[in-house]
Amino acid sequence: MLFSSISFLYYFLPIVLILYFAVPFKFKNFVLLIASLFFYFYGEPIYTLLMLATTVSSYIHGLLIDRFRDTKWSKVFLVSSVVTSLLVLGFFKYTDFFITNINVITRAEIPLLKIALPIGISFYTFQTLSYTIDVYRGEAQVQKSFVRLATYVALFPQLIAGPIVRYTTVEAELKERTHSFSNFAVGFNRFILGLGKKVLLANTLGELCEIFRASNEKSFVFYWVYALAFCLHVYFDFSGYSDMAIGLGRVFGFHFLENFNYPFISKSVAEFWRRWHMSLGTWFRDYVYIPLGGNRVSKLKWFRNTLVVWFLTGFWHGADWTFIVWGLYFALFLLLEKFFLGKLLAKIPRVLSHIYVLFVIAISFVIFNANGMGQAISDIGGMLGLQQIPFFNSETLYYLRSYGVVLVLGIVGATPLVKRAVEKFRTIKAGDWILTVGEPVVQIALIVVITAYLVDGSFNPFLYFRF
Amino acid sequence: MKNHVKNIVVTSIIGMFFLVMFLMCVLHKPIDISTSERRQLAQFPTLTWAEIVDGKNIDEFEDYTLDQFPLRDTFRSIKAWVQFNIFHQKDNNDIYVVDGTVSKLEYPLDESMVDYAMNHWKAIYDKHLANTDAKVYYSVVPDKNYFIAEENGYPAMDYEAMIAQLNSGIDYMTYINIMDCLEIGDYYTTDSHWSQDKILDVADRLASAMGVRDKLSFEFTQKQLSPFYGVYHGQSALALKPDTITYLTNHVIEEATVFNFETQKNTPVYHLEKFSGNDPYDVFLSGAAAYLVIENPNAVEERELIVFRDSFGSSLTPLLIEGYSKITLLDTRYIMSQMLGSVVDFSTVDDVLFIYSTAIINNSTALR
Repeated sequence: MLFSSISFLYYFLPIVLILYFAVPFKFKNFVLLIASLFFYFYGEPIYTLLMLATTVSSYIHGLLIDRFRDTKWSKVFLVSSVVTSLLVLGFFKYTDFFITNINVITRAEIPLLKIALPIGISFYTFQTLSYTIDVYRGEAQVQKSFVRLATYVALFPQLIAGPIVRYTTVEAELKERTHSFSNFAVGFNRFILGLGKKVLLANTLGELCEIFRASNEKSFVFYWVYALAFCLHVYFDFSGYSDMAIGLGRVFGFHFLENFNYPFISKSVAEFWRRWHMSLGTWFRDYVYIPLGGNRVSKLKWFRNTLVVWFLTGFWHGADWTFIVWGLYFALFLLLEKFFLGKLLAKIPRVLSHIYVLFVIAISFVIFNANGMGQAISDIGGMLGLQQIPFFNSETLYYLRSYGVVLVLGIVGATPLVKRAVEKFRTIKAGDWILTVGEPVVQIALIVVITAYLVDGSFNPFLYFRF
Repeated sequence: MKNHVKNIVVTSIIGMFFLVMFLMCVLHKPIDISTSERRQLAQFPTLTWAEIVDGKNIDEFEDYTLDQFPLRDTFRSIKAWVQFNIFHQKDNNDIYVVDGTVSKLEYPLDESMVDYAMNHWKAIYDKHLANTDAKVYYSVVPDKNYFIAEENGYPAMDYEAMIAQLNSGIDYMTYINIMDCLEIGDYYTTDSHWSQDKILDVADRLASAMGVRDKLSFEFTQKQLSPFYGVYHGQSALALKPDTITYLTNHVIEEATVFNFETQKNTPVYHLEKFSGNDPYDVFLSGAAAYLVIENPNAVEERELIVFRDSFGSSLTPLLIEGYSKITLLDTRYIMSQMLGSVVDFSTVDDVLFIYSTAIINNSTALR
């Protein structure tokens, strides 16, 4: 089920809210669990069992790790948990990728399994992994209530497209949390904002990307318009989803960590990744990079650690070479920045640092969105003026004019300008009053416009569902 | 304290909004047809376990929630307004407005579709017409974009290239150019079609080329039907002024009979009851039909015409009735062209006219 669907907004959500707030606290997790299972079942009827099986596995492994703590068996059960989770993820997500490559290398003709990717499997697998690892490390207490653990894994606000909520983040709130008008109001405000980012900006920019892809009249400028549109599309799509998840979590009393922090204002690629999909970055840092030794090792091992982490980051995003190249592409720039580029970026004017980051990111997302490396190379060639195409043409002009306002709104919205302006306006007494009174009015107006777009539109996929 | 009050107010308003919307969705009485979009609306699915598990019921329910959303047309209008006036997008679902005239982007030219159309016509010609004495003509009706797209900054297909491709690929028919007879004012503002009272020069050009101009009086009485909300009115979801259908009639047209081979019924040339139907343009020859025969008892000589056509032919053909004793209209979107030989006698035909709009030629897979 999509957050940005009529079925979610005006059927599922009102019913869940009524039930959730009608029952006593001790039943609230149960209501959330049932609602979350239905939410997942609605989109993935069969794979609901897979998610439950993964949860059962984590639950049992957690108990066993705790039961045999301080013995070698604790580690055995940890390894068993990690291997089980990764095998499930590997089987459903990567089998056909490996078969394809084996076929290419050996000229074998092993038939593809053509397994449909269970929605959100990458997210909930990483969450269950974080649980058992944290229990093993003693950073989280074992959860003896299956309902609570299952509620954590299946919690519908963050189930299918993140952010990757660590067990330790919500451990206490699974047991006890507060519900208040403040949580509800702030949560819904965030939810509607995220919904607006998704429906009004991301979807519209996604249309432009599709138009570009279908066009036979591309130009040099159109390639760059596409790169800009896709960067903004993926940002508003994913950060919008994170906003919705964080907002809904807050409505139900959970405080999820932030997942984005205006990544496009970064002055280096390293900073970009501290601001982009933060829950994934910190997950790889804490569960892969640091266990490998992080940067407190020899340069060669640190080099290896960086490559491993970014190979895995790319591979996590999808079973395709484009994603692996995308991840290693970032590894290259991170290494360059560490060796010498970082010092250079610190010396040059800020505007040049921003241009450098935006250029690197634009190229990266063109690779990310390409249907194979051939298309990625072709697209980058178009952006670098290596194709026999006009610099500019009437079609480019039309779509620039048609999507110009949305692109400008997207650019401005991807910076903290609006947030700072609102904060500054709030320091004025009249401004604070206007914002206080105007907030619910704007929220209702926004949800009406979003509903209008949903009712009329058909272009509505979430990009991160495929991960 | 102020924030606490605000949070209570926000919670109350948001909670009430979602509750009201939920109740409206649940209590909304399903509608069968959208008159504005001229299509059937999805209904609540019949649930079965097998179709729930394979996702079919869920997809159907999603369609249902969209199609049966309360005040759906109002919400579509809000979207269109925001898209044009806030985001300043040039089109909404490919629909755009220039000086009050609505059109739909038809872009770019698809040469393979033009080839498909040519192959389709060639197959008809070879199978049914090559061995007859019929004189065969073809003509192309430009869609509205031809007149308004490019000069207003909208992408437009290369119409000259389409005509050049047709002319170079068709040597067995005579091309009758009618494009210079038309201008944007000859079309309805809210519909894709031309207005019959504005195409007398088109009829004149065609009749002259086919050698029946001297049979046509061009003396008509104008009659009007209003309000006419064309196909783009509903699609645009904008508040637009309706058009008026003006149809031209005389005693020859009124005494002509139309036989529909699908329904096996006789109908008038202008089927006025259709004006209150889903598509008021259906007043012309009762709308979409695979195979019609118009008999003209007042014809001055026995002369037969076959028109291969799309919906533009419906309003054009009545203007040619005086020139023929019998006109057969064939729309191969609704009848397989291979079957024509068994139902149509091509041996007695004098003139054959293939007349299609650029929009159909550019999306010609509908031709069968």
